[in-house]
Amino acid sequence: MQQKAWLGIDTGGTFTDLVLVDAARGTQWLHKTPTTPADASRGILDGMAEILRIADLDASEVALVCHGTTLATNAVLERKWVRTGMITTAGFRDVIELARQRRPSFFNLDLEKPAPPASRDLRLEVAERIAPDGTVVTALDEDAVRDAVATLKARGAQAISVCFLHAYANPAHERRAVAIVREMWPDAFVCASSDILAEFREYERFSTASVNASLLPVIDRYLDRFERGVAGLGIAAQPTIMQSNGGAVSPASVRRTPINTFFSGPAGGVIGAVGLGAAVGVKDIITFDMGGTSTDVALIRNGVPAKHNVREMGGFPVRTRTLDIHTIGAGGGSIAWVDPGGLLKVGPQSAGAMPGPAAYGRGGDRPTVTDANIVLGRLNQRALLQGRMAVFPDLARKAIEAHLCAPLDMDLVRAASGIIEIVNVNMMGAVRVISVERGEDPRDFALMPFGGAGPLHAADVAAMMGMPRVFVPQRPGLLSAMGLLHADARGDFSLTRLVRADPASLDALNIGLADLAARGAAWLEQEAAGAPAVFEWQGDLRYFGQNFELASGFPSGHLDGAALAAMVARFHAAHAAAYGYAMPDRPVEIVNLRLSVTVQRPVPPLNAAVPRGVKLRDALIDERDVWFFGAGFQPAPVYDRDRMPADVRFHGPAIVEQMDTTTVIPPGATVDVDPAGNLMIAIPTVAEGRVQ
Amino acid sequence: MTASRVDSITAEVVSRHLLSIAEEMAATLIRTSFSPNIKERADCSTAVFDAAGRVIAQAQRVPIHLGSMIGAVHAVTARFGADEIAPGDMFVANDPYSGGGSHLPDINIIAPVFWQGRIVAYVANIAHHADVGGMVPGSEAAVCRSIFQEGLRIPPVRIMRGGEINRDVFDIILLNSRTADERNGDLRAQFASNVTGIRAVEGLFARYGEDTEPAIEAYVDFTRRRFTAAIGRIKPGIYTMEDFLDGDAPGETARIALTLTIEGGRMALDFSGSAAQLSWARNIPHQALIATVYTVAKSLLDPDVPANAGYFDTISIHAPQGCVVQPVAPAPVGCRSISAGVLGDVIALALSKAMPERAIAGSGPHHLAVFAGPDPRDDGYFVNYETIAGGMGARPNRDGIDAVRVHASGASNLPVEALEHAYPLRIERYAIRDGSGGAGERRGGAGVIREYRALAEGITVSLSAERQTVLAPGLAGGMPGAAGVFVLDPGTPRERVLGAAEADVALPPDSVLSIRTPGGGGYGPPERRPQAALDKDRREDRAPPAAEFSPGDLPRTETAA
Repeated sequence: MQQKAWLGIDTGGTFTDLVLVDAARGTQWLHKTPTTPADASRGILDGMAEILRIADLDASEVALVCHGTTLATNAVLERKWVRTGMITTAGFRDVIELARQRRPSFFNLDLEKPAPPASRDLRLEVAERIAPDGTVVTALDEDAVRDAVATLKARGAQAISVCFLHAYANPAHERRAVAIVREMWPDAFVCASSDILAEFREYERFSTASVNASLLPVIDRYLDRFERGVAGLGIAAQPTIMQSNGGAVSPASVRRTPINTFFSGPAGGVIGAVGLGAAVGVKDIITFDMGGTSTDVALIRNGVPAKHNVREMGGFPVRTRTLDIHTIGAGGGSIAWVDPGGLLKVGPQSAGAMPGPAAYGRGGDRPTVTDANIVLGRLNQRALLQGRMAVFPDLARKAIEAHLCAPLDMDLVRAASGIIEIVNVNMMGAVRVISVERGEDPRDFALMPFGGAGPLHAADVAAMMGMPRVFVPQRPGLLSAMGLLHADARGDFSLTRLVRADPASLDALNIGLADLAARGAAWLEQEAAGAPAVFEWQGDLRYFGQNFELASGFPSGHLDGAALAAMVARFHAAHAAAYGYAMPDRPVEIVNLRLSVTVQRPVPPLNAAVPRGVKLRDALIDERDVWFFGAGFQPAPVYDRDRMPADVRFHGPAIVEQMDTTTVIPPGATVDVDPAGNLMIAIPTVAEGRVQ
Repeated sequence: MTASRVDSITAEVVSRHLLSIAEEMAATLIRTSFSPNIKERADCSTAVFDAAGRVIAQAQRVPIHLGSMIGAVHAVTARFGADEIAPGDMFVANDPYSGGGSHLPDINIIAPVFWQGRIVAYVANIAHHADVGGMVPGSEAAVCRSIFQEGLRIPPVRIMRGGEINRDVFDIILLNSRTADERNGDLRAQFASNVTGIRAVEGLFARYGEDTEPAIEAYVDFTRRRFTAAIGRIKPGIYTMEDFLDGDAPGETARIALTLTIEGGRMALDFSGSAAQLSWARNIPHQALIATVYTVAKSLLDPDVPANAGYFDTISIHAPQGCVVQPVAPAPVGCRSISAGVLGDVIALALSKAMPERAIAGSGPHHLAVFAGPDPRDDGYFVNYETIAGGMGARPNRDGIDAVRVHASGASNLPVEALEHAYPLRIERYAIRDGSGGAGERRGGAGVIREYRALAEGITVSLSAERQTVLAPGLAGGMPGAAGVFVLDPGTPRERVLGAAEADVALPPDSVLSIRTPGGGGYGPPERRPQAALDKDRREDRAPPAAEFSPGDLPRTETAA
């Protein structure tokens, strides 16, 4: 494939970020355009036309388009899905309502169980039954399926999921029922639970399949508009869509499993961090993507982001392979308030884009994290976005004084620094979740901040956690969009095979592996026919009697006695490593088989547009008093990132401003600017000292 | 009052550290434990305490553990002087009468944290162990007549000294369990959890130094003020309420009586007048009583208040010795979480009088079934412990939630596909029990129907329940929820209604056990139910004609007792 220009489009809640890379010249263009919620494709297509115009590139030169989309996520969160039917095993229509019998919150009685996408009048039962080993107990009542389809059509269902018990062990009944749906309703949006998630635990599988079905028409309509629009711009390349697993795939794959895109946007950031880390030789990274209302953190070890298999979306479990991204509801727009007992709290309520922080002068009067940063001189007190947006520090001051200083009886600086301290400790909690709570020591990792607010807080968060390095990308606000250009094509497939890990199970295992191999091959044919692909095989294993599995890899899609024994041996070793003990005498059970198929894509070049032949003082634009933890107000030089030379070293205190963010460098820290313009900040260790 | 040297910011920052520490302890416990009950159902809790043994921060997975947490450190310090406790020591306890526990399967492990040569804090964790001996597998059955039948009683004793396991105690615990190797793995996970907590609390003191203890004190003060304010928002007065557990024999009942006094930003609960302790294992020991009180008060008054000693201090509780909510040894207590559901209703209904706009009707507690028998697949023996949810009471502004665990209880169900894979049982039906929620302007939450078919020889089941005789009350003219019932072979000539507490009922191959759990009470007169809700009930088939219920589980007409 001849690469000319690559285009990444990351749709967020407020803005859509676009990045265009001319592969031959190593030149990048960046563009931001407002997101258009009514028809997201419109803003995106306008933005694509604009960035091509800015770069003066012809659409025919674009060889790759990758899109990170929040469409499916928003459809679930805002319940903008379609009326969805379900055909299920007799006696079990309520499975998706019974859920796991826990109330939504132990203490908050006002929270209700979320209403599933298929309401009860659209959940119809048919006689059929499959045993856990896949044998048929009761044959499928095909007439009942026909009646159900007719009833669902009559009741206005626009999509159907077919969800039968133990379908992961034998999908025959589900496949036959889907065939009947299609006979009667040729253009139906329908999916079978065993096609979406061939794993046991009926609530999670039915929920996953039902949510998926409810999105099929929604994503189809969106992709129709998007694909037509891309073609209309004159781009011949087929666009790809980022998935939650960090791989990009064709629209056809997304049309089948829209649930795979739920973490499309945050995955772009993580893959961007992997790509940037690989280019500069940093492989152990904790990402810290702090935006206006929320913050995403993820852990990357040896260049590989941590993944997991279950996420909640809108109150429903959705089991898909997903990067392990932890989100908390705190960001630059989070509001500071005093609780009824008199404690200062920050978030989760946010001032959002409108009215925004008090200092933006758009009518907001509640103090936010951004207001505190302005009062303390950490953010520019005249204007943001390189002068394009005026700020009003008096309004920030008034908001903090009125809402915090008066009730807490403290001065402005203490209240403002308290806001920063509390939001930082919340951030620290998020980082601990994906590191310490997973058995990883954060001090072994570099913290990579991005998003609009990450670099403002990263050095302090790193200091609190004893992390010695902060790595600030050259374009922190656009790392997520850049990540789209780093994505490989990746498909993940799984199948439950609950059997003992002994030679008597080999036939059952190999039948399952053949099924996975066929699904992987079909996917590959659709995504990248003929391209070299990497097949990775894994089993989820546990000791008999346990309910918790560990992954153990194996080299090929066929197991013999020796390969099985090796896989079991690796499981014992993994158990000892993870939990401190192994039980080699206890029988081992295989639960799931997994296949990942990856087709590598070429890596985009680093930005070549870093200023050369200039001195650091050429980038000095200001000096102002800035408040730092442990030091109070200090005069600090302010540098313009765009004019900052590569290969230079300087020391904190300092502030680095650029269009998309501001980086705070505390006293005692040392910054090395690398050849690509990234900032590597060495943080003095403070493990034994007080932070404030 | 607030300690002067720290302000509300430092208190908030230190509290966030403490909550992180409790969460890290829980993550370690779940990650390193062995048994499904801890790993998958997360039936465990962790906490950090101050030097006086007060709960400061906890990672709650099951609300009823709160009570055992409150008792954990005090049980140790009542027995061991500060000079007898050294760095590297850990203590174990589970006894409800001497060890701060709430039933025997919940084992507490408690450890001191030293800084500059003195105890500055404690950490502790609770895990529900699948078996601690006794007359029934799972160590929990309503039919036990004495705590000595329920398993191994452990007073606070040293299980680790100077960082080394005390084998003398450890081996006794293992020998008394039907599943010793699981206990071994789970206890070691509990030690690991405390080690995580100790290191992190030491780090906190290293970072904040002399300010740490005042910051903790300030945090407790802020919490106390916050909950005092919450109590101040409800109407002062004296409110009485009573409700009934199923009694020792069919048709008998056992009263739980409550006088609630709200005055001056405090609440006092007096359970005088409650029935004498029962001979079945449905008594509610002290730690389960206080856990239920604190949980229901927090739910109704201020769901987001931090669960620490600050808010506990605003509540006082009195119950006479030897009554059903303050039993004395050797009264059995294993199934206290079911009866604590009814206790929760008594507290919630009393509070509902004081705050009618946030009222909640009575709820249907879960039912417990323990299946056991030879497993034909591997010549072994299986024990399947399951809780089946009831439904929540209705409130002035919303229907009760269907099919959930209520008040202080909270563990998950077992997936049908996991169950059928593991045991020789087939689930024939798992459904919301239509019509079991009490009718009303707002309908009570419905209970559940779950039907098991036996697929092998020699299977038996033990059953425990509440609200099979006394219905969950409705409020403000709402109807009560339907009674729960256990039915053997429904719809056949062999149909038989079983008792609310049964041990070792035989389930011959192909027989079917139908478990039908109680619903919650409704709120407001049924004739005021909004048309939209009625339309939805009809469209979704939620309120079938009463004829579908056998006489035993027809909703009765009387409201709150």
